[in-house]
Amino acid sequence: MTGTYFEDVVVDNIQVTPAITVTETHVALYLGMTREAPLGSGAVPDVLPLCMVIGLGWRVKDPPLVVLAFVGLDWQIMRELRVGDTVHSRSRILSKRPMRDGGLVVDERTIIDQHGEVVQQGRFTFLVAKRHVAKRHKEVSA
Amino acid sequence: MTEQRRYFDEIALGEEYESPGRTVTEADIVMFAGLSGDYNVLHTDAEFMKQSIFGERIAHGLLCLAIQSGLFSRATAPYATLAFGGLRWKFKVPVKIGDTIRLKAKVTGKKDLSKPDRGLITLQRTVLNQRDEVVQQGETDLIVEKRP
Repeated sequence: MTGTYFEDVVVDNIQVTPAITVTETHVALYLGMTREAPLGSGAVPDVLPLCMVIGLGWRVKDPPLVVLAFVGLDWQIMRELRVGDTVHSRSRILSKRPMRDGGLVVDERTIIDQHGEVVQQGRFTFLVAKRHVAKRHKEVSA
Repeated sequence: MTEQRRYFDEIALGEEYESPGRTVTEADIVMFAGLSGDYNVLHTDAEFMKQSIFGERIAHGLLCLAIQSGLFSRATAPYATLAFGGLRWKFKVPVKIGDTIRLKAKVTGKKDLSKPDRGLITLQRTVLNQRDEVVQQGETDLIVEKRP
């Protein structure tokens, strides 16, 4: 599997994703799936941009982290988004701490709108695989 | 929704709510992959996941976070929420296709804010599966309007 393993994670590495426009369709799909209470016209549920940022995180030039588990999330919402707004995200690796089969990586993410304003910000904690774990996966499947 | 929205003043510290259950399906995971753009093998490659410690595909952590947010609106009358402030959250146990999750929530904080027309409500939230294992847990901050 291609990807960035724990050993290759560089603290302070910064990645900027492409942008995505939040549409009425995203909101309708999200509300249908979660059955969250409907909002006023044009409003965007606050958790939706957070979900979209995870996908944007895959659209950068570096291979994605080989995530074994999503461990935790500290998140702040600064501003509300409206349908039609376009967001991208910026991530910075804050720290890495080795464990047995992997290590904890703390990734600071910022969601930025088309005016350059920070709309949401926080920290993701991932358990990221070490190389030998991925090798073991391959041996099992071979 | 005709249900009365509850103001900050009416919400008491220690109030507890429990939602109905919600079975997480393969369709939920496929739709969420499409919506979020997160096609990580953990959620989308059944063959690869057979060899993993999980033994099968698992739901996105944020999918279950989003589902619990919807379950909250089915657990109690709506708050007069002005904004969602943020959250501190732990993903503890993976959710697999066919698992049924539900939400327990408790009001653990009530705080005035600098603007006199609103206050901050903190909820401790626990997402449980059908075996009563805690799958996710955390705190959420809601900014709620005071009675005009």
